[in-house]
Amino acid sequence: MPAVAGIKKNLADAVRKLATKTSVDQLRKQGVKQVNVVGLDRIVSFVEEAVHRTLRDRLLVGERAAIADATREEFMRLLRSNEELRARQERDAEEVNALRLEMQRLNQELAERIEAAHAEERSTWESEDERIATTVRTVVSAALREGRDAASLERRVLEVVMGLVGEERRTTLEAKAAARDNEVELLQRRIQKLAGSLEDAEQKIGELARTKDGGDGISSIYREVQGLADGEDDFARRQSLMAEIFAQNLKLQKGG
Amino acid sequence: MTSTTSSSGPQSKPGGGKDHGVLYIGMDLGTSRTSVAASNGVRESVLSVVGYPKDVVSKKLLKKDVVFGKEALEKRLSQRMHRPLAKGVFKYNELPDGADRGEIETAARDLIGEAIRMAQPRKDELVYAVIGVPAQASIHNKEAILGAARASVDSVMLCSEPFAVAYGLDMLEDALIIDIGAGTTDLCRMHGTMPEEADQVTLSIAGDHVDERLATLMKAACPGAAFSNQMVKEIKERYSHLGDAPERALVSLPVDGRPTEFDVTDVVKQACSMLVQPIVDGLRRLIGTFDPEFQHKLRNRVVLAGGGSMIRGLDTAIEGMMRREMGGGRVVHVDEPVYGGANGALKIAHDMPAEYWAQLR
Repeated sequence: MPAVAGIKKNLADAVRKLATKTSVDQLRKQGVKQVNVVGLDRIVSFVEEAVHRTLRDRLLVGERAAIADATREEFMRLLRSNEELRARQERDAEEVNALRLEMQRLNQELAERIEAAHAEERSTWESEDERIATTVRTVVSAALREGRDAASLERRVLEVVMGLVGEERRTTLEAKAAARDNEVELLQRRIQKLAGSLEDAEQKIGELARTKDGGDGISSIYREVQGLADGEDDFARRQSLMAEIFAQNLKLQKGG
Repeated sequence: MTSTTSSSGPQSKPGGGKDHGVLYIGMDLGTSRTSVAASNGVRESVLSVVGYPKDVVSKKLLKKDVVFGKEALEKRLSQRMHRPLAKGVFKYNELPDGADRGEIETAARDLIGEAIRMAQPRKDELVYAVIGVPAQASIHNKEAILGAARASVDSVMLCSEPFAVAYGLDMLEDALIIDIGAGTTDLCRMHGTMPEEADQVTLSIAGDHVDERLATLMKAACPGAAFSNQMVKEIKERYSHLGDAPERALVSLPVDGRPTEFDVTDVVKQACSMLVQPIVDGLRRLIGTFDPEFQHKLRNRVVLAGGGSMIRGLDTAIEGMMRREMGGGRVVHVDEPVYGGANGALKIAHDMPAEYWAQLR
């Protein structure tokens, strides 16, 4: 009876999956000192027996078999769907976990970059401040050494400060000009592209207009190549003239 | 754009009916005018003028990359203008400012392409064309014309323009064709075979020279009047005559900006008369060197064709001079001067055997 053996195995698996795991220590912590143990085989036998008894008591023999099969199938379907659900949940959980990790990594990277940018900015400003301070200190020291008056010192400091400000302005203007040049270049490219599109469109319109003018054309009255007919007037002479015209053209076109 | 009529043949079915076929095109590629006649019944003519927009603004206004004929002339101020054919062949020696040889070839190719388009070929039909060129066109120019035409047709042949006129009129024997164009006047002696060099005379005096002469005479006859070459050409085409004037040629020309009427009847006649003597000289040369036994036949079968043949009284004037200098002669003119060459070329295209066309594809 392989079918019955299969059911028993599935029942055993199902009971095993539905069972919750625990350890002796945990039971002890909960105050449990003794446990009653029922073997898996016994549980499966109980379920099987219970189903058979119910069926035997309530149904006729023919119906019993059919209902038993249907019940078995339904039970199996439930087991499978339960397994699939679990598997899906596990997959989803793994995915969520991976996403969390990725987000965490990105946040960390972003924070590092912001910090690096701030550090770079600070360093730039600090070195800039230091440069200004050094310049001013040098100017003031030199002025004091040379015994210059306050007005002269003020002029010199102003010169230095204006020089630094001017340099800053020039850098800013250059950056703006570069941005403007980029913008102009971009616009020029767009204009060039539009001009090309316009030309194409005009060409297509022209072609369409010509096609429209031409229509389908008018059929020739001839379906086949004609040539001189035997009975025509002056046939021989005209045939000879045609041959001569052809020969001249053959020589001209094919070098023959 | 085109300046003359077009018509459909009896079996033509615009836009439908046939799924394949062969369209023959006869083309008269002239200095002043290019004409086509096709086996679908279409006949069209366009002035041999090509215009390209000078700049983006004119291109935008025109909404075209190239214009032809009358439209190009009307909008010439905003165009780079080309008359790509001089003396019926590519015009390299009188380039407009900034134009190069490539531009002339492009203009010629565009003109030939436009002439083919005017014939309204169906896309599913084979197009076989015969193009009439001046009798004395150089090999280089013939090759250039062929190259330009190949872009638009499946197979193409060239033939001598006066021969095409004669073939179209079924005057292959004992006839003398005078094809008066804008750039050249071609005289061709027909004696039943393909004309050879000795059978042909090309005169450089033609329609354009009449225009130049008329402009010179008008400067003297119409003091203070301002006029362009195009205006002179239009006056000539409207009033050209020899002999008694059918009407007075009264034209309005601006003098210091004010329209003023002038009578140019006599100067138009004087300008037109410059054609007669050289033509009669050419006739004398061709008739005089022909078999004496058949000279009288030739003298009495002189046919005037081309745009210049529309000068009223020209046939009579030539006859009169022939009478005085050659002892007589008879001159007639073709019924359709503009399409005489194209009709003949179309007939040649029709009569050309299939295998010949196939070999040139």
